[in-house]
Amino acid sequence: MGKEECKTMLDALNKVTACYRHLVIALGSTSDSQNLREELKRTRKKAQELAVANRTKLTSLLKDKTISKEDRAEYERLWVLFSSSMDLLEVDMKRSLEIGQEFPLKVPTRHLIQTGMTGSTTTVAARAMSVQNMKYEADSNVDTADLRDLRSEITQVSQMMEEMEMKVQVAPWAVEAKQEAGAELKSNMSVGNSSVGVISICEEEPKEEDGAGGRDTGFATICAVAGFVIIVFVAVVLGYLVINMS
Amino acid sequence: MTIRSARPDRGQHFRPRMLCLNKLEVIVVEMQDPKSGVTGSEQKLNVTTIPHVFAGKDIIAWIANKMKTPPEEAHVFGTMLVAFGYIYPLQNHKMLVMCNDTSLYRFQAPYFWPTQKWVADDSDYAIYLAKRNIRKKGMLEPYEQAHYNHLHKWLNHKWDFIVMQATEQYKAGKERKKPDRVVFDCQERAYWILNRPPRRTHSAMDCGPERLIDPNEDEKISFDQYRRKNMFYQQAIMRSKVKSSVSLGALVKYITTYKTHDPFLAPCQPSNPWQTDNDTYWTLNMRGVDVPTKMRVERWSFSLFELLTDLRGRDDFKVFLKKEFSGENLAFWEAAEELKWGTGSSMSAKAETIFKTFLAPGAPRWINIDGRTMGLTVKGLDHPHRYVLEAAQTHVFLLMKKDTFFRYLKSPVYKDIQKKALSPETHNFSPAQLEQNAQNRSPGIHPIILWQQEEEEKAKTAAASAPVDVKAMMSKIDRKK
Repeated sequence: MGKEECKTMLDALNKVTACYRHLVIALGSTSDSQNLREELKRTRKKAQELAVANRTKLTSLLKDKTISKEDRAEYERLWVLFSSSMDLLEVDMKRSLEIGQEFPLKVPTRHLIQTGMTGSTTTVAARAMSVQNMKYEADSNVDTADLRDLRSEITQVSQMMEEMEMKVQVAPWAVEAKQEAGAELKSNMSVGNSSVGVISICEEEPKEEDGAGGRDTGFATICAVAGFVIIVFVAVVLGYLVINMS
Repeated sequence: MTIRSARPDRGQHFRPRMLCLNKLEVIVVEMQDPKSGVTGSEQKLNVTTIPHVFAGKDIIAWIANKMKTPPEEAHVFGTMLVAFGYIYPLQNHKMLVMCNDTSLYRFQAPYFWPTQKWVADDSDYAIYLAKRNIRKKGMLEPYEQAHYNHLHKWLNHKWDFIVMQATEQYKAGKERKKPDRVVFDCQERAYWILNRPPRRTHSAMDCGPERLIDPNEDEKISFDQYRRKNMFYQQAIMRSKVKSSVSLGALVKYITTYKTHDPFLAPCQPSNPWQTDNDTYWTLNMRGVDVPTKMRVERWSFSLFELLTDLRGRDDFKVFLKKEFSGENLAFWEAAEELKWGTGSSMSAKAETIFKTFLAPGAPRWINIDGRTMGLTVKGLDHPHRYVLEAAQTHVFLLMKKDTFFRYLKSPVYKDIQKKALSPETHNFSPAQLEQNAQNRSPGIHPIILWQQEEEEKAKTAAASAPVDVKAMMSKIDRKK
């Protein structure tokens, strides 16, 4: 069905937009590198392909006058999702152009901002491109040709957005959201995996939050230590009995 | 979701007073130099070490060295860097100041720099709050929760997008290594504390309404503009000016008289409503209040202008004048004000009544102005315009100022009200009470009710000050004899 296709494509666009944002934030900092610029380029291209596909699909669906009211409302909601994604993408692209121009890579004295981020963003880009490993090409003119391409891509995106607004008559403020407040808490995420991350981040926060986090972790470590001690004790007792027996 | 159109964008987008951001960026980039920049160290958390932390005193020493300024100025400069968001503190993250000790700071990513063009967007903030909600499992800070609810209501059409994007960004963030994740969280948090500060914190990003012209652009002044500038300056030179000794003397006199009444220089009694969200000050100083405050009464004694502009003071003055049977000066002055500020259509009618009541020979409330002014005014009243009574009004004002005003200040009416005046005690709110005050702010009196009260007042005064027939009064006194 058209709706399911649309939804999967929008999910993909959403994912790519989120990854692109993570990549742009790393620009200009110490985790900036040739690889990052290439990752940005590839993610951008993927985003554009998805955007064009989404746009054609949604415009064809919305232009169809023979759909029911609920369907139309649903398509309008998907349309709002799509255009918000595109807005975010466009802003991120413009910002990456600015920051890319400010922090060129191929100059003899690079002054990248020491933000504390030193890791690579390969995994994020791989997530965006839906591949297992990223392979890089050694592109040498990352400062000039790449930025030129970026400028043309930005103009392409802006033109596409303008066309969209002109052709499709959707009132964005009339759309009602399906999710209520706090919906993100109920989404299916592996919250258990993130507990380690939560603990270390809590340490950077002021005393009262640290206390709360510390209390939880303290309890967990006490349990673990107690369990360990019990097991050792049982092992020692059994060993003693075995030695006594033999 | 920006609404786009084919027309060019002529809106106002540039924040004023943010020119310094470009210069700050240059300095921040210079600080990164491995040889001549600030030296950093590592931060050890539980099991991870994160590089690139800097001590406050190192940064301040570098600034003092580079800009050749005394350490106090370097300290202030450092605080500005933190307040604008180029550097963020790691401990005590809500206080955006630079401390001259070993407290740790880190540089902010260029994406989060406060550049002129990219203003922090509400939908971005909503995504950030949703992400924070996920991480904190629903326990947001109260001001964040308030923002969240507000954005959920007003960005409701985008809410699906916000939730989807927040979950995706959260998942994508987990793909990075742990130290990078920690740094990213700190960066985002610092960015949003700067751009959406909690209640009652001062923010350096406060600026006025946005302007049309980009302040970073170089201005090209055309030949015609230069020509006009020259003409203006030549005319300005030829104007006569007051000697600075005279004007400064007047300024000093003004300051010494008014300094206790200025809410910036002296505390406002009982408390400044803008700071404590308690509007007792305003209710005590309303127009129709029975007993005014001591500060207000003291202000009336400064000059006749103060007395007349404060409507409560004017009422009091009227009471005094009624006792002295010399209310016609003030009545004329008020009528002239009404003519100046009133509607154009009512001007001729008002001019007629004023002439009949005040200026015609043998009028019931005849004012005593000199012959020349009287002649000019009467001639002007043939073709009345707004300022036809200006000369007469000034004359009457001077009469009142030189004579009646001083008598008023020595009169029992004034002394009586001085004694009765209230002196409210200063409020002393604890932070919890301030929070409550902020939440219980009332919208105040509805303007329609205020307008109705004013209309009633006007009707009362009109009835009370119906022209006192001098002849009738004289005949009454005669009859008594």
